[in-house]
Amino acid sequence: MAERKTMMAMKQLMLRYPTGKVALSGINLSIEQGEFVYLTGESGAGKSSLLRMFYGGLRPTSGQLHVQGWDMREASEDDVRSLRRRTGVCFQNQRLLFSRTVFENVALPLHIQGWDKKRLIPRVQKVLDYVRLGDRLWSYPEALSGGEQQRIAIARAMMATPPVVLADEPTGNLDEETARHVLDLLMGLNQLGMTVIMATHDLHLLNSHPGRVVQLHAGALVGDSYAP
Amino acid sequence: MHPKGVRVHLPGGWNMPPMGIHQYLALIIVAVALWALGSVWMGLQATGDWVGSWQKNMVLHVYLPQESNDKLARLKSDLQNISGVVTVVSVSHDVAANWMQQWLGKGVGDVSLMAKHLPETLVLSLQHSDGELFVVDDVRETAQRVGASINEDEVRLLGMRDVLDQAEYLAWFVTLLLGLAMALIVSNTLRMILLARADEIHLMRLMGAKEWFVRMPFLLEGSALGAAAGLLAWGLLWPWVWGISSWLEASSVSLNIWGLLLPLLFGGAVLGCLGAAVATARLESPDSVDV
Repeated sequence: MAERKTMMAMKQLMLRYPTGKVALSGINLSIEQGEFVYLTGESGAGKSSLLRMFYGGLRPTSGQLHVQGWDMREASEDDVRSLRRRTGVCFQNQRLLFSRTVFENVALPLHIQGWDKKRLIPRVQKVLDYVRLGDRLWSYPEALSGGEQQRIAIARAMMATPPVVLADEPTGNLDEETARHVLDLLMGLNQLGMTVIMATHDLHLLNSHPGRVVQLHAGALVGDSYAP
Repeated sequence: MHPKGVRVHLPGGWNMPPMGIHQYLALIIVAVALWALGSVWMGLQATGDWVGSWQKNMVLHVYLPQESNDKLARLKSDLQNISGVVTVVSVSHDVAANWMQQWLGKGVGDVSLMAKHLPETLVLSLQHSDGELFVVDDVRETAQRVGASINEDEVRLLGMRDVLDQAEYLAWFVTLLLGLAMALIVSNTLRMILLARADEIHLMRLMGAKEWFVRMPFLLEGSALGAAAGLLAWGLLWPWVWGISSWLEASSVSLNIWGLLLPLLFGGAVLGCLGAAVATARLESPDSVDV
Protein backbone atom coordinates (compact mmCIF):
# COMPACT_ATOMS: atom_id res chain seq x y z
CA MET A 1 0.00 0.00 0.00
CA ALA A 2 1.32 3.46 -0.93
CA GLU A 3 2.43 5.64 1.97
CA ARG A 4 0.01 8.42 2.72
CA LYS A 5 1.25 11.99 2.54
CA THR A 6 1.25 14.11 5.72
CA MET A 7 -1.02 17.10 5.14
CA MET A 8 -0.60 18.82 8.52
CA ALA A 9 2.26 18.35 10.96
CA MET A 10 2.42 20.19 14.28
CA LYS A 11 5.17 20.06 16.86
CA GLN A 12 4.90 22.00 20.13
CA LEU A 13 2.65 24.41 18.27
CA MET A 14 1.74 27.52 20.17
CA LEU A 15 -0.42 30.49 19.27
CA ARG A 16 -0.65 33.64 21.34
CA TYR A 17 -2.86 36.52 20.20
CA PRO A 18 -1.50 40.09 20.35
CA THR A 19 -3.79 40.62 23.37
CA GLY A 20 -1.65 38.09 25.24
CA LYS A 21 -4.28 35.35 25.31
CA VAL A 22 -2.80 31.92 24.57
CA ALA A 23 -5.15 30.19 22.12
CA LEU A 24 -3.12 27.01 21.55
CA SER A 25 -0.15 25.53 23.31
CA GLY A 26 1.99 22.41 23.03
CA ILE A 27 0.03 20.87 20.14
CA ASN A 28 1.68 17.79 18.64
CA LEU A 29 -0.43 16.36 15.88
CA SER A 30 -0.17 14.91 12.42
CA ILE A 31 -2.96 14.59 9.88
CA GLU A 32 -2.51 12.30 6.88
CA GLN A 33 -3.91 12.61 3.39
CA GLY A 34 -7.46 11.27 3.07
CA GLU A 35 -8.34 11.43 6.76
CA PHE A 36 -11.66 12.70 8.09
CA VAL A 37 -10.87 14.59 11.29
CA TYR A 38 -13.30 16.05 13.79
CA LEU A 39 -11.88 18.88 15.91
CA THR A 40 -13.95 18.95 19.06
CA GLY A 41 -13.90 20.91 22.28
CA GLU A 42 -15.80 23.58 24.18
CA SER A 43 -16.20 27.12 22.86
CA GLY A 44 -12.84 28.88 23.11
CA ALA A 45 -10.93 25.59 23.12
CA GLY A 46 -8.95 26.72 20.06
CA LYS A 47 -10.71 24.80 17.24
CA SER A 48 -11.32 27.81 15.00
CA SER A 49 -7.84 29.22 15.70
CA LEU A 50 -6.29 25.93 14.61
CA LEU A 51 -8.39 25.88 11.43
CA ARG A 52 -7.37 29.46 10.67
CA MET A 53 -3.74 28.44 11.01
CA PHE A 54 -4.33 25.70 8.44
CA TYR A 55 -5.11 28.28 5.74
CA GLY A 56 -2.56 30.90 6.82
CA GLY A 57 -5.01 33.24 8.55
CA LEU A 58 -2.86 33.06 11.68
CA ARG A 59 0.83 32.33 12.03
CA PRO A 60 2.26 30.18 14.84
CA THR A 61 3.86 32.08 17.71
CA SER A 62 6.26 29.21 18.38
CA GLY A 63 6.69 25.54 17.57
CA GLN A 64 6.34 24.03 14.12
CA LEU A 65 3.44 23.87 11.70
CA HIS A 66 3.74 22.37 8.26
CA VAL A 67 0.63 22.54 6.08
CA GLN A 68 0.64 20.70 2.73
CA GLY A 69 4.41 20.91 2.76
CA TRP A 70 4.71 24.61 3.62
CA ASP A 71 6.40 25.69 6.85
CA MET A 72 3.84 28.18 8.09
CA ARG A 73 6.34 30.18 10.14
CA GLU A 74 8.49 30.85 7.08
CA ALA A 75 5.84 30.86 4.33
CA SER A 76 5.87 33.95 2.10
CA GLU A 77 2.73 35.78 0.99
CA ASP A 78 2.83 33.91 -2.32
CA ASP A 79 3.15 30.59 -0.45
CA VAL A 80 0.08 31.42 1.62
CA ARG A 81 -1.84 32.32 -1.54
CA SER A 82 -0.85 29.01 -3.11
CA LEU A 83 -1.91 27.17 0.05
CA ARG A 84 -5.28 28.90 0.02
CA ARG A 85 -5.84 27.88 -3.59
CA ARG A 86 -5.31 24.28 -2.49
CA THR A 87 -7.63 24.54 0.51
CA GLY A 88 -11.43 24.58 0.49
CA VAL A 89 -12.93 26.37 3.46
CA CYS A 90 -16.50 26.24 4.82
CA PHE A 91 -16.59 29.17 7.20
CA GLN A 92 -18.50 29.27 10.47
CA ASN A 93 -21.06 31.76 9.09
CA GLN A 94 -20.66 30.47 5.52
CA ARG A 95 -19.51 33.90 4.24
CA LEU A 96 -21.73 33.75 1.18
CA LEU A 97 -22.00 36.92 -0.90
CA PHE A 98 -25.68 37.80 -0.69
CA SER A 99 -25.55 40.35 -3.50
CA ARG A 100 -24.22 37.67 -5.87
CA THR A 101 -25.94 34.68 -7.42
CA VAL A 102 -25.24 31.11 -6.38
CA PHE A 103 -23.22 30.75 -9.57
CA GLU A 104 -21.05 33.76 -8.75
CA ASN A 105 -20.51 32.50 -5.20
CA VAL A 106 -19.57 28.98 -6.18
CA ALA A 107 -17.48 30.01 -9.19
CA LEU A 108 -15.27 32.32 -7.13
CA PRO A 109 -12.38 29.92 -6.26
CA LEU A 110 -11.82 28.96 -9.90
CA HIS A 111 -12.52 32.46 -11.21
CA ILE A 112 -9.64 33.60 -8.97
CA GLN A 113 -7.49 30.92 -10.59
CA GLY A 114 -8.22 32.37 -14.03
CA TRP A 115 -11.12 30.27 -15.31
CA ASP A 116 -13.45 32.14 -17.68
CA LYS A 117 -17.24 32.22 -17.51
CA LYS A 118 -17.67 29.75 -20.38
CA ARG A 119 -15.72 27.05 -18.56
CA LEU A 120 -17.13 27.92 -15.18
CA ILE A 121 -20.83 27.47 -15.93
CA PRO A 122 -20.74 23.68 -16.65
CA ARG A 123 -18.32 23.15 -13.80
CA VAL A 124 -20.49 25.01 -11.27
CA GLN A 125 -23.54 23.17 -12.58
CA LYS A 126 -21.80 19.83 -11.98
CA VAL A 127 -20.75 20.77 -8.44
CA LEU A 128 -24.23 22.07 -7.61
CA ASP A 129 -25.73 18.83 -8.95
CA TYR A 130 -23.45 17.01 -6.52
CA VAL A 131 -24.86 18.97 -3.55
CA ARG A 132 -28.34 18.54 -5.08
CA LEU A 133 -28.88 22.24 -5.77
CA GLY A 134 -28.47 22.10 -9.53
CA ASP A 135 -31.70 24.04 -10.08
CA ARG A 136 -30.49 27.00 -7.95
CA LEU A 137 -27.64 28.15 -10.19
CA TRP A 138 -29.07 31.64 -10.78
CA SER A 139 -30.81 32.11 -7.41
CA TYR A 140 -29.57 34.47 -4.73
CA PRO A 141 -28.42 32.94 -1.40
CA GLU A 142 -31.04 34.83 0.59
CA ALA A 143 -33.72 32.85 -1.23
CA LEU A 144 -32.24 29.60 0.15
CA SER A 145 -32.76 27.87 3.49
CA GLY A 146 -29.96 27.57 6.07
CA GLY A 147 -29.22 24.00 5.01
CA GLU A 148 -29.13 24.97 1.35
CA GLN A 149 -26.81 27.86 2.09
CA GLN A 150 -24.49 25.46 3.90
CA ARG A 151 -24.55 23.15 0.87
CA ILE A 152 -23.65 26.13 -1.33
CA ALA A 153 -20.70 26.81 0.98
CA ILE A 154 -19.61 23.17 0.61
CA ALA A 155 -20.00 23.41 -3.17
CA ARG A 156 -17.77 26.48 -3.16
CA ALA A 157 -15.19 24.74 -0.97
CA MET A 158 -14.99 21.70 -3.28
CA MET A 159 -15.11 23.73 -6.51
CA ALA A 160 -11.36 23.73 -7.12
CA THR A 161 -11.04 20.07 -5.98
CA PRO A 162 -8.60 20.99 -3.22
CA PRO A 163 -6.66 18.28 -1.40
CA VAL A 164 -7.86 19.70 1.95
CA VAL A 165 -11.30 20.91 3.02
CA LEU A 166 -11.69 22.78 6.30
CA ALA A 167 -15.14 23.18 7.81
CA ASP A 168 -15.79 25.34 10.86
CA GLU A 169 -19.02 24.28 12.61
CA PRO A 170 -20.81 23.52 9.33
CA THR A 171 -23.76 21.97 11.16
CA GLY A 172 -23.93 24.62 13.89
CA ASN A 173 -27.32 26.14 13.18
CA LEU A 174 -28.95 23.25 11.37
CA ASP A 175 -31.58 20.74 12.48
CA GLU A 176 -30.42 17.17 12.91
CA GLU A 177 -31.60 15.84 9.58
CA THR A 178 -30.10 18.74 7.59
CA ALA A 179 -26.90 18.47 9.63
CA ARG A 180 -26.70 14.77 8.79
CA HIS A 181 -27.13 15.58 5.11
CA VAL A 182 -24.38 18.22 5.22
CA LEU A 183 -22.11 15.71 6.91
CA ASP A 184 -22.95 13.15 4.21
CA LEU A 185 -21.68 15.63 1.66
CA LEU A 186 -18.43 16.20 3.56
CA MET A 187 -18.01 12.42 3.92
CA GLY A 188 -18.55 12.18 0.17
CA LEU A 189 -15.72 14.68 -0.43
CA ASN A 190 -13.52 12.57 1.84
CA GLN A 191 -14.35 9.50 -0.20
CA LEU A 192 -13.28 11.44 -3.30
CA GLY A 193 -9.84 11.64 -1.67
CA MET A 194 -9.97 15.01 0.03
CA THR A 195 -8.69 15.40 3.59
CA VAL A 196 -11.56 16.87 5.60
CA ILE A 197 -11.01 18.65 8.92
CA MET A 198 -14.18 19.74 10.64
CA ALA A 199 -14.60 21.68 13.86
CA THR A 200 -17.82 20.70 15.60
CA HIS A 201 -19.83 20.60 18.82
CA ASP A 202 -22.30 18.01 17.51
CA LEU A 203 -20.73 14.89 18.99
CA HIS A 204 -23.88 12.83 18.35
CA LEU A 205 -23.09 12.99 14.62
CA LEU A 206 -20.04 10.82 15.24
CA ASN A 207 -22.30 7.80 15.77
CA SER A 208 -23.46 7.83 12.18
CA HIS A 209 -20.36 9.36 10.56
CA PRO A 210 -17.13 7.81 11.79
CA GLY A 211 -13.78 9.62 11.79
CA ARG A 212 -10.77 10.60 13.80
CA VAL A 213 -11.66 12.76 16.79
CA VAL A 214 -9.11 15.30 17.97
CA GLN A 215 -10.19 16.90 21.22
CA LEU A 216 -9.00 20.29 22.39
CA HIS A 217 -9.46 21.82 25.82
CA ALA A 218 -8.32 25.34 26.74
CA GLY A 219 -5.91 25.38 23.81
CA ALA A 220 -4.30 22.02 24.58
CA LEU A 221 -4.68 18.65 22.88
CA VAL A 222 -6.45 16.34 25.31
CA GLY A 223 -7.61 13.49 23.11
CA ASP A 224 -6.94 11.82 19.76
CA SER A 225 -8.99 8.73 18.93
CA TYR A 226 -11.16 7.11 16.27
CA ALA A 227 -14.96 7.02 16.61
CA PRO A 228 -17.23 5.24 16.81
CA MET B 1 -25.03 29.81 -21.11
CA HIS B 2 -26.87 31.80 -18.49
CA PRO B 3 -30.57 32.53 -18.96
CA LYS B 4 -31.80 35.77 -20.52
CA GLY B 5 -32.13 38.65 -18.08
CA VAL B 6 -29.46 37.24 -15.74
CA ARG B 7 -26.34 39.36 -15.63
CA VAL B 8 -23.20 37.65 -14.45
CA HIS B 9 -20.85 39.88 -12.44
CA LEU B 10 -17.94 37.82 -11.21
CA PRO B 11 -15.92 39.84 -8.71
CA GLY B 12 -12.23 40.62 -9.15
CA GLY B 13 -9.84 40.64 -12.08
CA TRP B 14 -10.75 42.50 -15.24
CA ASN B 15 -14.47 42.53 -14.45
CA MET B 16 -16.06 45.93 -14.02
CA PRO B 17 -18.43 46.06 -11.05
CA PRO B 18 -22.06 47.09 -11.64
CA MET B 19 -22.88 50.82 -11.45
CA GLY B 20 -24.76 52.01 -8.37
CA ILE B 21 -26.07 55.30 -7.00
CA HIS B 22 -22.67 56.28 -5.54
CA GLN B 23 -21.00 55.90 -8.92
CA TYR B 24 -23.69 57.96 -10.71
CA LEU B 25 -23.37 60.73 -8.14
CA ALA B 26 -19.58 60.79 -8.44
CA LEU B 27 -19.92 60.77 -12.24
CA ILE B 28 -22.09 63.88 -12.17
CA ILE B 29 -19.87 65.75 -9.69
CA VAL B 30 -16.67 64.94 -11.58
CA ALA B 31 -18.34 65.80 -14.91
CA VAL B 32 -19.36 69.24 -13.57
CA ALA B 33 -15.82 69.87 -12.34
CA LEU B 34 -14.36 68.77 -15.69
CA TRP B 35 -16.91 70.91 -17.49
CA ALA B 36 -15.76 73.92 -15.45
CA LEU B 37 -12.16 73.11 -16.41
CA GLY B 38 -13.13 72.66 -20.06
CA SER B 39 -14.90 76.04 -19.96
CA VAL B 40 -11.82 77.76 -18.53
CA TRP B 41 -9.58 76.34 -21.26
CA MET B 42 -12.16 77.04 -23.92
CA GLY B 43 -12.31 80.65 -22.71
CA LEU B 44 -8.54 80.92 -22.96
CA GLN B 45 -8.67 79.43 -26.43
CA ALA B 46 -11.30 81.98 -27.48
CA THR B 47 -9.35 84.91 -26.03
CA GLY B 48 -6.19 83.69 -27.71
CA ASP B 49 -7.98 83.44 -31.01
CA TRP B 50 -9.53 86.87 -30.52
CA VAL B 51 -6.24 88.51 -29.69
CA GLY B 52 -4.85 86.94 -32.84
CA SER B 53 -1.43 86.51 -34.24
CA TRP B 54 0.02 89.65 -32.63
CA GLN B 55 0.08 87.71 -29.40
CA LYS B 56 2.90 85.56 -30.73
CA ASN B 57 4.95 88.16 -32.66
CA MET B 58 4.61 91.39 -30.79
CA VAL B 59 6.07 94.39 -32.56
CA LEU B 60 6.20 98.03 -31.64
CA HIS B 61 6.22 100.89 -34.13
CA VAL B 62 8.23 104.04 -33.50
CA TYR B 63 7.44 107.15 -35.59
CA LEU B 64 9.91 109.94 -36.29
CA PRO B 65 8.55 113.11 -37.97
CA GLN B 66 9.86 113.83 -41.51
CA GLU B 67 11.56 117.03 -40.36
CA SER B 68 13.74 115.09 -37.90
CA ASN B 69 14.78 112.35 -40.35
CA ASP B 70 18.45 113.29 -39.84
CA LYS B 71 18.14 111.72 -36.40
CA LEU B 72 16.90 108.39 -37.75
CA ALA B 73 20.28 106.65 -37.72
CA ARG B 74 20.96 107.76 -34.15
CA LEU B 75 17.50 106.71 -33.01
CA LYS B 76 17.89 103.29 -34.66
CA SER B 77 21.27 102.80 -33.01
CA ASP B 78 19.97 103.89 -29.58
CA LEU B 79 16.96 101.59 -29.86
CA GLN B 80 19.16 98.64 -30.82
CA ASN B 81 21.20 99.19 -27.67
CA ILE B 82 18.18 98.78 -25.40
CA SER B 83 18.22 95.42 -23.67
CA GLY B 84 15.07 93.48 -24.59
CA VAL B 85 14.82 94.87 -28.11
CA VAL B 86 15.57 92.03 -30.54
CA THR B 87 15.49 93.76 -33.91
CA VAL B 88 14.97 97.26 -35.26
CA VAL B 89 13.92 97.47 -38.89
CA SER B 90 13.38 100.66 -40.83
CA VAL B 91 10.29 100.73 -43.05
CA SER B 92 11.01 102.52 -46.31
CA HIS B 93 8.41 104.81 -47.91
CA ASP B 94 8.15 102.40 -50.83
CA VAL B 95 7.24 99.50 -48.56
CA ALA B 96 4.75 101.72 -46.71
CA ALA B 97 3.23 102.83 -50.02
CA ASN B 98 2.90 99.23 -51.20
CA TRP B 99 1.22 98.21 -48.01
CA MET B 100 -1.17 101.18 -48.12
CA GLN B 101 -2.00 100.48 -51.73
CA GLN B 102 -2.84 96.87 -50.89
CA TRP B 103 -4.88 97.91 -47.88
CA LEU B 104 -6.83 100.76 -49.51
CA GLY B 105 -7.16 99.18 -52.95
CA LYS B 106 -6.62 100.67 -56.39
CA GLY B 107 -9.79 102.76 -56.21
CA VAL B 108 -8.05 105.52 -54.24
CA GLY B 109 -5.40 106.00 -56.91
CA ASP B 110 -1.63 106.16 -56.43
CA VAL B 111 -0.79 106.46 -52.73
CA SER B 112 2.99 106.82 -53.15
CA LEU B 113 2.70 110.61 -52.88
CA MET B 114 0.77 110.28 -49.64
CA ALA B 115 3.33 107.75 -48.33
CA LYS B 116 6.12 110.26 -48.83
CA HIS B 117 4.54 112.44 -46.16
CA LEU B 118 4.36 109.63 -43.63
CA PRO B 119 6.77 109.84 -40.68
CA GLU B 120 9.91 107.71 -40.72
CA THR B 121 8.89 104.35 -39.22
CA LEU B 122 10.94 101.82 -37.25
CA VAL B 123 9.57 98.39 -36.39
CA LEU B 124 10.90 96.86 -33.17
CA SER B 125 10.46 93.27 -32.16
CA LEU B 126 10.64 92.72 -28.42
CA GLN B 127 11.85 89.81 -26.41
CA HIS B 128 8.87 88.18 -24.65
CA SER B 129 9.51 88.53 -20.93
CA ASP B 130 7.91 89.70 -17.71
CA GLY B 131 9.78 93.02 -17.91
CA GLU B 132 8.41 93.86 -21.37
CA LEU B 133 6.63 97.00 -20.23
CA PHE B 134 9.87 98.35 -18.72
CA VAL B 135 11.51 97.88 -22.12
CA VAL B 136 8.61 99.82 -23.65
CA ASP B 137 9.28 102.65 -21.18
CA ASP B 138 12.92 102.72 -22.28
CA VAL B 139 11.87 102.74 -25.94
CA ARG B 140 9.40 105.58 -25.30
CA GLU B 141 12.02 107.62 -23.45
CA THR B 142 14.62 107.06 -26.17
CA ALA B 143 12.09 107.99 -28.87
CA GLN B 144 10.99 111.14 -27.07
CA ARG B 145 14.59 112.33 -26.77
CA VAL B 146 14.70 112.83 -30.56
CA GLY B 147 11.06 113.95 -30.89
CA ALA B 148 9.73 110.53 -31.98
CA SER B 149 6.71 108.70 -30.58
CA ILE B 150 5.61 105.12 -30.16
CA ASN B 151 2.32 103.45 -31.07
CA GLU B 152 0.46 103.47 -27.74
CA ASP B 153 -2.26 101.08 -29.02
CA GLU B 154 0.41 98.44 -29.43
CA VAL B 155 1.59 99.11 -25.87
CA ARG B 156 -1.93 98.41 -24.63
CA LEU B 157 -1.92 95.11 -26.55
CA LEU B 158 1.38 94.25 -24.86
CA GLY B 159 -0.35 94.71 -21.52
CA MET B 160 -3.11 92.41 -22.74
CA ARG B 161 -0.52 89.75 -23.47
CA ASP B 162 0.62 89.89 -19.85
CA VAL B 163 -3.00 89.51 -18.70
CA LEU B 164 -3.37 86.46 -20.96
CA ASP B 165 -0.17 84.93 -19.64
CA GLN B 166 -1.41 85.39 -16.09
CA ALA B 167 -4.78 83.92 -17.01
CA GLU B 168 -3.01 80.85 -18.38
CA TYR B 169 -1.04 80.43 -15.14
CA LEU B 170 -4.30 80.76 -13.26
CA ALA B 171 -5.94 78.18 -15.54
CA TRP B 172 -3.14 75.70 -14.77
CA PHE B 173 -3.53 76.38 -11.07
CA VAL B 174 -7.31 75.84 -11.25
CA THR B 175 -6.69 72.66 -13.30
CA LEU B 176 -4.37 71.35 -10.59
CA LEU B 177 -6.78 72.22 -7.77
CA LEU B 178 -9.85 70.80 -9.50
CA GLY B 179 -7.84 67.75 -10.57
CA LEU B 180 -6.95 67.00 -6.97
CA ALA B 181 -10.52 67.60 -5.88
CA MET B 182 -11.80 65.21 -8.57
CA ALA B 183 -9.28 62.54 -7.59
CA LEU B 184 -10.47 62.90 -3.99
CA ILE B 185 -14.14 62.62 -5.02
CA VAL B 186 -13.44 59.42 -6.97
CA SER B 187 -11.29 58.13 -4.13
CA ASN B 188 -14.02 58.81 -1.56
CA THR B 189 -16.67 57.16 -3.73
CA LEU B 190 -14.53 54.08 -4.23
CA ARG B 191 -13.73 54.00 -0.52
CA MET B 192 -17.46 53.74 0.20
CA ILE B 193 -17.78 51.00 -2.41
CA LEU B 194 -14.78 49.23 -0.92
CA LEU B 195 -16.41 49.28 2.51
CA ALA B 196 -19.62 47.91 0.99
CA ARG B 197 -17.62 45.15 -0.70
CA ALA B 198 -15.29 44.41 2.21
CA ASP B 199 -16.71 40.86 2.55
CA GLU B 200 -16.10 40.14 -1.11
CA ILE B 201 -12.52 41.41 -0.91
CA HIS B 202 -11.89 39.42 2.24
CA LEU B 203 -13.30 36.27 0.68
CA MET B 204 -11.22 36.64 -2.48
CA ARG B 205 -8.09 36.96 -0.34
CA LEU B 206 -9.07 33.92 1.70
CA MET B 207 -9.27 31.98 -1.54
CA GLY B 208 -5.77 33.01 -2.54
CA ALA B 209 -6.51 35.90 -4.92
CA LYS B 210 -3.52 38.02 -5.86
CA GLU B 211 -3.56 41.69 -4.89
CA TRP B 212 -3.81 42.94 -8.47
CA PHE B 213 -6.86 40.70 -8.94
CA VAL B 214 -8.56 42.23 -5.90
CA ARG B 215 -7.67 45.84 -6.74
CA MET B 216 -8.02 45.83 -10.53
CA PRO B 217 -11.84 46.25 -10.65
CA PHE B 218 -11.56 49.37 -8.51
CA LEU B 219 -8.81 50.85 -10.69
CA LEU B 220 -10.89 50.06 -13.77
CA GLU B 221 -13.95 51.55 -12.15
CA GLY B 222 -12.09 54.75 -11.21
CA SER B 223 -10.67 55.12 -14.73
CA ALA B 224 -14.02 54.41 -16.38
CA LEU B 225 -15.77 56.83 -14.04
CA GLY B 226 -13.24 59.58 -14.85
CA ALA B 227 -13.36 58.91 -18.61
CA ALA B 228 -17.17 58.88 -18.64
CA ALA B 229 -17.22 62.14 -16.66
CA GLY B 230 -14.75 63.62 -19.19
CA LEU B 231 -16.97 62.59 -22.08
CA LEU B 232 -20.05 64.01 -20.37
CA ALA B 233 -18.21 67.26 -19.59
CA TRP B 234 -17.14 67.54 -23.22
CA GLY B 235 -20.74 67.00 -24.34
CA LEU B 236 -21.88 69.72 -21.95
CA LEU B 237 -19.48 72.22 -23.56
CA TRP B 238 -21.51 72.21 -26.78
CA PRO B 239 -24.61 74.03 -25.40
CA TRP B 240 -22.15 76.60 -24.02
CA VAL B 241 -20.63 77.14 -27.45
CA TRP B 242 -24.01 77.24 -29.19
CA GLY B 243 -25.21 79.80 -26.63
CA ILE B 244 -22.40 82.25 -27.45
CA SER B 245 -22.11 81.40 -31.14
CA SER B 246 -23.37 84.82 -32.32
CA TRP B 247 -20.77 86.60 -30.16
CA LEU B 248 -18.06 84.25 -31.44
CA GLU B 249 -19.08 84.96 -35.02
CA ALA B 250 -19.14 88.72 -34.47
CA SER B 251 -15.66 88.57 -32.91
CA SER B 252 -14.30 86.29 -35.67
CA VAL B 253 -13.39 83.71 -33.06
CA SER B 254 -13.40 80.06 -34.05
CA LEU B 255 -13.25 77.45 -31.29
CA ASN B 256 -11.91 73.93 -31.65
CA ILE B 257 -14.11 71.97 -29.21
CA TRP B 258 -12.94 68.64 -30.68
CA GLY B 259 -9.47 69.52 -29.47
CA LEU B 260 -10.75 69.35 -25.88
CA LEU B 261 -12.21 65.84 -26.27
CA LEU B 262 -9.02 63.83 -25.74
CA PRO B 263 -7.65 65.97 -22.88
CA LEU B 264 -10.98 65.71 -21.03
CA LEU B 265 -11.38 61.98 -21.74
CA PHE B 266 -7.84 60.92 -20.84
CA GLY B 267 -7.43 63.55 -18.12
CA GLY B 268 -10.62 62.23 -16.49
CA ALA B 269 -9.43 58.63 -16.80
CA VAL B 270 -6.03 59.43 -15.29
CA LEU B 271 -7.60 61.36 -12.39
CA GLY B 272 -10.11 58.56 -11.80
CA CYS B 273 -7.33 55.97 -11.78
CA LEU B 274 -5.32 58.16 -9.38
CA GLY B 275 -8.34 58.42 -7.06
CA ALA B 276 -8.81 54.64 -7.18
CA ALA B 277 -5.13 54.08 -6.43
CA VAL B 278 -5.45 56.34 -3.36
CA ALA B 279 -8.64 54.54 -2.26
CA THR B 280 -7.11 51.08 -2.58
CA ALA B 281 -3.74 52.00 -1.08
CA ARG B 282 -4.85 50.73 2.32
CA LEU B 283 -7.12 47.77 1.75
CA GLU B 284 -6.86 45.55 4.74
CA SER B 285 -8.76 42.38 5.56
CA PRO B 286 -8.64 40.16 8.62
CA ASP B 287 -6.70 36.95 8.00
CA SER B 288 -4.51 38.77 5.48
CA VAL B 289 -1.59 36.75 4.24
CA ASP B 290 0.89 38.98 6.02
CA VAL B 291 -0.60 38.43 9.51
